[in-house]
Amino acid sequence: MTPRRLLVAALALLAAAALLLSFGEREPAPTERARVDFPTHMREPEAERSERRATLTLPAPPPEAGQPAPAPQPRDPFLVGLPVKPGEPIVVFEANALRHSRLGELFVGCVLARDPRAFSGIEDELGIDPLKDLDRVAFVGDAVVVSGFFDRFKPERLERDARPEPHGDAGQLWIPEPGPEGSAARTAFALWKDQLLLASTDPEDLRRAIDQLEGRAPVPDAGIPEDMAYGEVYGIIPGAAARRFFGSDARGLGERLATVASRIEVHADATSDLAAVVRVRGEDAAGISDLARSLGAALSVARVEAQATDDRQFAELLESARVVDGEGALSLELAVPAERLEAWFQGCGPAHTAVAPAEGAPGDGGPAR
Amino acid sequence: MTSSPGNVLAVARDLLREARARRWTLALLAGVTALLLLAAFGLELEVVDGALAASRFFGRPSHGGITAADVALRPLFEAVAYMVFYGGTLFGVLACADFAPALLAPGRIEHLLSLPVRRAELVLGTFLGVELLVLAGAVYGGLGLALIVAAKTGVFGWAPVAAAALGAVGFTGVYAVMMAAAMVARSAALSAAAGAVVWVAGIVAGNRAAIAPLFEPGLARAVFLALTAPLPRLSELGRHAARVANGLPLDPAQLAVQAGGTALFAAAALAVALALFERKDF
Repeated sequence: MTPRRLLVAALALLAAAALLLSFGEREPAPTERARVDFPTHMREPEAERSERRATLTLPAPPPEAGQPAPAPQPRDPFLVGLPVKPGEPIVVFEANALRHSRLGELFVGCVLARDPRAFSGIEDELGIDPLKDLDRVAFVGDAVVVSGFFDRFKPERLERDARPEPHGDAGQLWIPEPGPEGSAARTAFALWKDQLLLASTDPEDLRRAIDQLEGRAPVPDAGIPEDMAYGEVYGIIPGAAARRFFGSDARGLGERLATVASRIEVHADATSDLAAVVRVRGEDAAGISDLARSLGAALSVARVEAQATDDRQFAELLESARVVDGEGALSLELAVPAERLEAWFQGCGPAHTAVAPAEGAPGDGGPAR
Repeated sequence: MTSSPGNVLAVARDLLREARARRWTLALLAGVTALLLLAAFGLELEVVDGALAASRFFGRPSHGGITAADVALRPLFEAVAYMVFYGGTLFGVLACADFAPALLAPGRIEHLLSLPVRRAELVLGTFLGVELLVLAGAVYGGLGLALIVAAKTGVFGWAPVAAAALGAVGFTGVYAVMMAAAMVARSAALSAAAGAVVWVAGIVAGNRAAIAPLFEPGLARAVFLALTAPLPRLSELGRHAARVANGLPLDPAQLAVQAGGTALFAAAALAVALALFERKDF
């Protein structure tokens, strides 16, 4: 080939390179994974939400000798009304915030795709729209406490089994007659001020909850303090209940956890990514540190096993798993990025039309109505 | 007549033999080895059942949480990938600047042209030999570090090897221009300068979408975009290696576009080098 032809070929190749590189150019793909924001502390919107929810003024405790009477502090009625018993776990779901989260929308879309009447059926029977009227749901031992708007609540369904009886200033109880001996305990219900709906197999739980709300019974210390109410799911598992929760495993981690943990806090954030923090506190700092290492190793082994058995969902969950060993406490952090959440729900039908987060948007402190 | 692959390989083999005898190449190799030894003795990684419990570099703790070792080591592999990619290509510019001028040295070129070897085979053979040398250097550094980390943690990361391969792809465009420069004037300094300019321009070209808005809309921006359009997207190729390090999926379409564009650019520069070589009388 002559030099002239080579130069012409060079020009043609240069033009081809320019065309290919320019027309094939796209936004550079990120080289790092998106950072997950773990719920390690109460953030500003959650602090504002907590402040808005503090609407219940309880009588101030009696002053100490020679001291002026302390001013009564407004509190969150939902947290005050939890019928907590020592040693029982408490888990709270911010139902309204969860419903408006990415995970919630995917979940609701999935449920509706399978059964379009899944939620409207409940509304027809009880007068409560689970998608709009619920704010929070707490599981406290054997009791369930639900907050929200219950002004349209239809008690007819409850009155089939029990006659309504008033309790305190604003409480209403539906306690069914006990069944024949040996049969399962029947569930009793209570409604307080059209704001809180409670259910338990032990009617004493319901009476105590209303008494706590109306200042006739002390609010238990074992409950959830306001500054711990952050994330879309939060709760406390006392050390004694940990063994029951975490069961037994080959490495004996559940038992070791129950031995060293005096209290386990759980916080999960589902606003965008699904991120959870499990904080284990205990007196034995060396034991906690040892447990942190064992947990880290167990998570790593579990991830390798999940990869080996092609269990992609579990492997993805463990991808961002981390154990942070603090002084006398360890934090286990788990996360699923939002795009992977969507991948998990693929094939579950089209997502339900997103409800615009209005009054009851996450962090707003109340349901959409 | 077409070039004979046998002749091209023979020229490449000669070049590698020559590189082995050069002090400059050996010094750079010793430098990479020293870095590997530093990592081997300085990095303390404590792994329990596949989880990284602590890491220290010369006694200083550098990691807070306990996490799966391969996940915890991603930032390290990312850093190594960038080091191998950019260090490898820069190593190529410095270590290989003299090969093409040496090919044209008086006495040697006359001897080579008296052999049954075409000029195109000399150019392609030299190009191939240098490419193999740079690839070997990058793989030595990258694979060496990956093996050191694997020996300490049981985790083998492919990112340094991917970075070495991508570095070799990117270097094709750089070295082709270096060869063309050597044909203009038989100077190692000019060849190295041309390589350095393309190396920097390739990094700029990979970020041109972000840089273009800094130019005034109109002629200035159009000239910038036109000048950077055919250049190899070096920084983009480096990012692919970083994605491998972070366990993110590769974008095969983008990789093919960038590798293909780099190959076309290299072919254009080699054609210019050959045209200039063909015009020379020895």
